Amino acid sequence: MSIRLIKRMSLALGLGIATLTLSACDGVTVGVGYGYDPFYDSMLWNDYYHDVDVDIDIDRPNRPDRPVRPERPKPPVAKPPARPRPPVARPPVARPPIHRPGPRR
Amino acid sequence: MRSFSCSILALCGAFYVGTAAPALADTPVTYTEEGQALFRFEVPDFWILRTGGPREIEDTGLGDARAVARVIGFRPVTDDAVWMGFVSPAGVGTIQGGVRYLQDIDRFLVKDPTMTSTSDTRIGGLPARVFRGTGHRDGKGVSFTATVIDLPQGRVAIAVAILRDGADPSFADDLNAVFASFRALQ
Repeated sequence: MSIRLIKRMSLALGLGIATLTLSACDGVTVGVGYGYDPFYDSMLWNDYYHDVDVDIDIDRPNRPDRPVRPERPKPPVAKPPARPRPPVARPPVARPPIHRPGPRR
Repeated sequence: MRSFSCSILALCGAFYVGTAAPALADTPVTYTEEGQALFRFEVPDFWILRTGGPREIEDTGLGDARAVARVIGFRPVTDDAVWMGFVSPAGVGTIQGGVRYLQDIDRFLVKDPTMTSTSDTRIGGLPARVFRGTGHRDGKGVSFTATVIDLPQGRVAIAVAILRDGADPSFADDLNAVFASFRALQ
């Protein structure tokens, strides 16, 4: 039983170490692709445009200046309406009382 | 069972020894067109090679498919700050023609190029003209070396080497080694 256990353990350990060792044999960089390869692509296009009448660097006329933004119209300046004043009640005209006591006789 | 696992360990040990002391052999690459070998060079170890091939591409704005020659490009596996490419364009037979070909370079490979030096030399025993300069690409400064090599039988090889600013200067040795390994095959 114990010999069997030792055999199994040695197999497991051996395979485990072997796996680690084999994976260590691989480089650390995996899956390096040619995603962005600007210089390669540029050389292709260099060949494409070589000796062809189409000049992609045509001297185009200068870009026109940006249009001047029209001035924002100013709203007519108007005085703010006068603040409404509350009607002032006039004091009642002082009138002599109609009925006056007659003068003493 | 145990002997089996031991043999695996021994095998991996051999791998370890193999990777610990890598052979310093470069990889020869031959640029061929329609079965005719034009030139060869050696790619440094641990570089990625992109072979490409003859193909047609089309500018969507122009709607005109044209054939372009094979471009072979390569760069270090761990670094994209360095790039080198070879092409032998059809219909370019002299160094003068190659120079005209390279005049398109400012549109594509490098923005705002500034030529710092031009020299005539020999690469692989063949006359060559080398242009060195700096420019920009993708918002970063680059220095470039564009070379026209006059191949026999009316062909030229165009080689462009690019080092972005900040690239490990030791890569320049690899690029020089590529030029040193260049040989025409005709």
